[in-house]
Parts: sequence; structure tokens; C-alpha cells
Amino acid sequence: MSAAASILDVADLWVAFPSYREATIYALKGLDLRIAPGEMIGLVGESGSGKTTLARAIMGLVPPPGVIERGQVAFAGLDLRAMDEETRRGLLGRDIAMVIPNPRAELNPVLTVGQQIANIALHHLGVGRKEAMAVALDMLRAVRIPDPERRLHAYPHELSGGMAQRVVIAIALACSPKLVISDDATSGLDVTVQAQVLDLLQSMVRQKGAATLFITRDIAITAHFCSRIGIIYDGQIVEMADTRAFFARPAHPYSIMLLAAFSHNPALRARWTRGDVAIAGQRAGAGCAFAPRCVRRQPRCLAEAPELRTLGFGHQTRCHFPVQAPA
Amino acid sequence: MQVLRYIGRRVLFVVPQLFGIILVSFFLVKLIPGDPAVMMLGPTASEQSIADLRDKLGVSKPLVVQFGRYMHDVVRGDLGTSWQTTRPVTEDLFQRFPATLELITLGLLVAIAIGFPLGVAAARRKRGAVRRFADYYGLLAGAVPDFWLALVLIFVFYTLLGWSPPPLGRIDMAVIPPPTITGSLVIDSLLAGDLRALLSALGHLLLPVLTLGVINAGPILKMTQSTMERTLNSEFIRYAETCGLPRRVVLRQAVRAALPSVLTIVSVLYGFLIGGAVLVEIVFSWGGAGQYAVQGVLNADLNPVLGFVVFSAVLSLVIYLIVDLLYFALDPRMRG
Repeated sequence: MSAAASILDVADLWVAFPSYREATIYALKGLDLRIAPGEMIGLVGESGSGKTTLARAIMGLVPPPGVIERGQVAFAGLDLRAMDEETRRGLLGRDIAMVIPNPRAELNPVLTVGQQIANIALHHLGVGRKEAMAVALDMLRAVRIPDPERRLHAYPHELSGGMAQRVVIAIALACSPKLVISDDATSGLDVTVQAQVLDLLQSMVRQKGAATLFITRDIAITAHFCSRIGIIYDGQIVEMADTRAFFARPAHPYSIMLLAAFSHNPALRARWTRGDVAIAGQRAGAGCAFAPRCVRRQPRCLAEAPELRTLGFGHQTRCHFPVQAPA
Repeated sequence: MQVLRYIGRRVLFVVPQLFGIILVSFFLVKLIPGDPAVMMLGPTASEQSIADLRDKLGVSKPLVVQFGRYMHDVVRGDLGTSWQTTRPVTEDLFQRFPATLELITLGLLVAIAIGFPLGVAAARRKRGAVRRFADYYGLLAGAVPDFWLALVLIFVFYTLLGWSPPPLGRIDMAVIPPPTITGSLVIDSLLAGDLRALLSALGHLLLPVLTLGVINAGPILKMTQSTMERTLNSEFIRYAETCGLPRRVVLRQAVRAALPSVLTIVSVLYGFLIGGAVLVEIVFSWGGAGQYAVQGVLNADLNPVLGFVVFSAVLSLVIYLIVDLLYFALDPRMRG
């Protein structure tokens, strides 16, 4: 995959959260990620792994006091970091759209659903108020909200969680973006509603031909929706593979730990989870970040940080002793 | 429809609320030492004439009976007579309240005009000249007494520069005031088409309004700034940012979300200023309601004091009702 062919190219991205009292915390530590046009890529990690920071950093909206220290974020060949703010604002919402996890808190409480969708069309598509409202109605229909004419005038607090999530999808896809970032988008929903909303998101994204960065804590979801899966741990990609290859032969001990956590097999879970987390002898910042929790830890893991290396076709992992033998 | 029902329910509650307020203030006012009979008859009056007058005024009866009599009159719209002005309190208050209301309404409008934009501007940046100015302004407005600022303004704009009329009342003595319709000299002279009276009234309003505006902009500024800071960090504003909406649109949404809090502080200030503007009224010889009530307290003239309490209670209830209706209009979640 060449750089020109990718829709999003994140390279060596470092995001720091400076602190007055303690050492600076790095939410992203040289993260690399590449997404091809139309590709659906799943990014899985636990809380605090840097998933949300990545989503925000791509959009250039790292919450203060966080700063992007270095690295590159290129969208369709455009350097997002070098771009002036007005141009970037023009891209956000139009070419890069976000699907958020908690829509009833994140939609504006005093604007109707119709106004909020129409706002996007108004400012990004350059249409008039009336047309923007028509776009809003079309989008409500497209996300299969029942009784869309009436919902157009509803306020966010009058919607159910699933319906609010559909509105957010409508907002995200109103301008036919090239990249959709979904940040834990369905974590607040019931399992059944979640499945419906995910199906909808997938079909809408496919229909519009957008690439998707699907950030989630739920590794099971990615199995159904993504063509490629990345595992993020402590601000770095620790494994990246095609979905089938990943689930067939996960290579990183952390990936296996995650999969085990989702299995209903306590023995498997116990085998891949370490009881003792604290270890002596590892200097801060040295060695593999996962080493303290790794069941396959060796002395080398504590001394030397592993690089991301390729195992087979497109299958990369950041481990000295990957579970699967290198091809 | 729903709003009408809400208003109806609120108005219903006004009755017990008012009763409670009158009850408490009646007994509190009676606790103030001082005998109106002695004040009215002067130091040379005989014991007998004082006792007679006390009987006539009804102040020799038990407090509960006095309260009963007072309530009996209040429901008939009679708030008693002031022995100082020898006029019915209701008439006095209808003359003085518009003066106070005109003053504090305009004063608060000036306060909003200063405090709100400054608060919004200060919330948008963490450092810089605007932020520092807002911080100092908030501090000073809280520390400087209003009557002192009033005296400074009089010294500068009347004594030194001679730009403003003398601080003696609401209109030039040489100007004939317009016929009373609303009680506000500005509105009345506009209604009468009397330009001379209008200009004179506006000139007299200038300094007291400025005083109240400058001082009360402080709390409005603080409230606006803190609410705006919270709003600008809120989830829905961050979402609006990720949607790439233009900066002015995002700001407008944030300002809109901050309005209810600003409305709250303005309504609190309004209720407070009905009596709280009294020092400014005194400095400018405004002849307002606060001044009237203070005269009553000082001279054991209790009917004006109670009348003032009743009037401002009713007014506060009306203001809070209006504010609640504005909340309704501003926030769809309230309409439920």
C-alpha cells in the first residue's frame, strides 16, 4: 500500500499530556496507522490505551492540556497538522466525520434533530436553509428512523438511545465523508439495539464508500464489521492483521488475553492473565509496555522494547516472542 | 396551553407565599424598638396624649390582634397610612416604585451590556489582556461600594466636568414632569411627546444608572465567564467542533447554552436591587421606594416598611415567574 493510495496516514504520532506535578504522560507513543479508501478497520484496546486520543488527534482536537508532540497525520495526501484552522474545520464534518458514543449528552440539547443535521449541510454543502432541512429529512429516512417528519422537530432528550445514535450517524454521513471515525459508538446501547445500529452504520458507510476507523473495546464487534484489525496498547499498535488472519492466529500475548477475556472459558482466561502485575527490575519506559502483564515474559522483554515487525502477509506485531512462529 | 396551566399554578401559590412573607415581616418589623406615638407627638407630649394616640393607632393591642387588623386591610388593598407623609402608603409606593424600577431596570441593562460580552470574551481565552481585565474588573466591582462610586462619578461628571445635572432627583426642577401614566419619567415623557422632559429625565438617569451598571456588571461577568468556560468544555460543544461547524456557530451555541445561568443571576440581582439600590437612591436624592422604606424604619413609621415588603415581594414573585417562563422558552428540556 503506497502513501498516496491511503485515505488516512498516521505516522509516528506522539500525543503528550503535560502535568505540573508528575512526568508528562504520553497517550500515544509513536503510533502508525494507515487506512485505505473504503476500508473498514477496527481498532481495539482497553480504557486508557489511547483510542479516543487517536480519534481526537486525527481531527486536530486533542483536549487541553494535551498536545501533539510530533508525528504526521495526512488525510488524502493533505497534511492535517500543517493546515490552518479554517481549512481543517472545512474538512471536519464533511470529509472526516465522527460517530460519538454518548449522543444524548453530545447532541445540542436546545436544537432540534432536524436543525442539527441541517446545520452540517448548511455549513459544509453550501445549500440554503430549506434544502438543508430537506437533506436532514432524507438522512433521517436513510438511517431508518420511524416517523421522520415528526422526529425532525424532536429534541435530543426526547429520543431513545438507539434513535439518538441513528441521528449521530445521520449527521456523520450527511456530507458523504471519505473517512468515518466511530469512537466506541455503540457502547452505551443494549445488545440488540447495538446490532441494529452497527448494521445500519456498516450499510450506510458501504453505500457512501467511506473508509471507517472503528474504535471499540469490544473485540467481538470488529470480527463482524472490519476487514482489518489493529490492537492498541499503551499508545502503540501492538498487532495489526487482516480480520481472518487475526482471529485464526493472533500473535501478540495481549491480543490473546483480550480474546480470552471475551471467551466463556475461565481456564483459557486464567492461562493468559497474569496475577502479579508489579515487577521489579524494569526501568520506567524501558522494555515492552505490556511486559508487566504478559504471561510469556522473558528477561529480554524488560530490557528492550520490541519493534513492530511483519510476521506474514500484512500481519504485524510488536512482540519479541510472538505466539505464532514467523513465516 | 401547558404554559398557561403552569402560570395558573404559580399564581395560586402566590397567595400563601405572600401571606407567609407578610406574617414574618410584620412580626420582625414590630421587633424594631421605637414608638410611633412618641415620634409623632414629639418630646414635649404628655403621657396621656401619647396613650390616647397609641390607642387610636391600635399599637396598644396585642400583636396578634394588630396583625389581624393589618391583614384585614391588606386584602382590601389598604396598606395603611404613613404618618410622615400623611398619605396612604399605597399611593406613596405607586409613586416611588416606578422611580426605583426605572433606575434598576436601566442599571441592570447596562450591567448586562458590560458583564455579558466581557464574560464571554474572557471565557474564550485563558490568558491575555481581555482575561486579565475581566479578572480585575470582577474583583474591583465586588470590592467598590456603589455609593462611593456614585460620589466619584458625581465629582467627576458634575463637579469637575459639569456634563451631568446635579444629583437632585429625577428631573430638573424647572422642567414640568409629564403626566403620570406608567410612573417612568422616560416612558411618560415619550408618551407625552415632551422632548425637554425626556432629555432632562435621561440626564438625571445617567449617573445613577451608570453606577448600578458598573457595579452589578461584576457578578454578571463572573457568572457568564464560569458558565461559558464550562459550556465551551462541554461534550456537545466538543462534538460541534468535531463536526467542523464554523467558529461563530459553535460560539453562538455555547452562548445560547450559557443564557439560563446569566438569566438566573440577573433575576437575583433584580430582586435584590429593589431594596439594595437604596444607597444610590439616597446619593442621588432619587425619591425611590428603598429610600421611602428606610425613612419609615428610622422614624418608627411601620406601614411604609411593611408596604415596601409587600410590594417588593409581589414584584419578586412576578420577576421569578417571568424568569421561569424565559427558561421555558430557552430550554426545551424544561417543557418536558
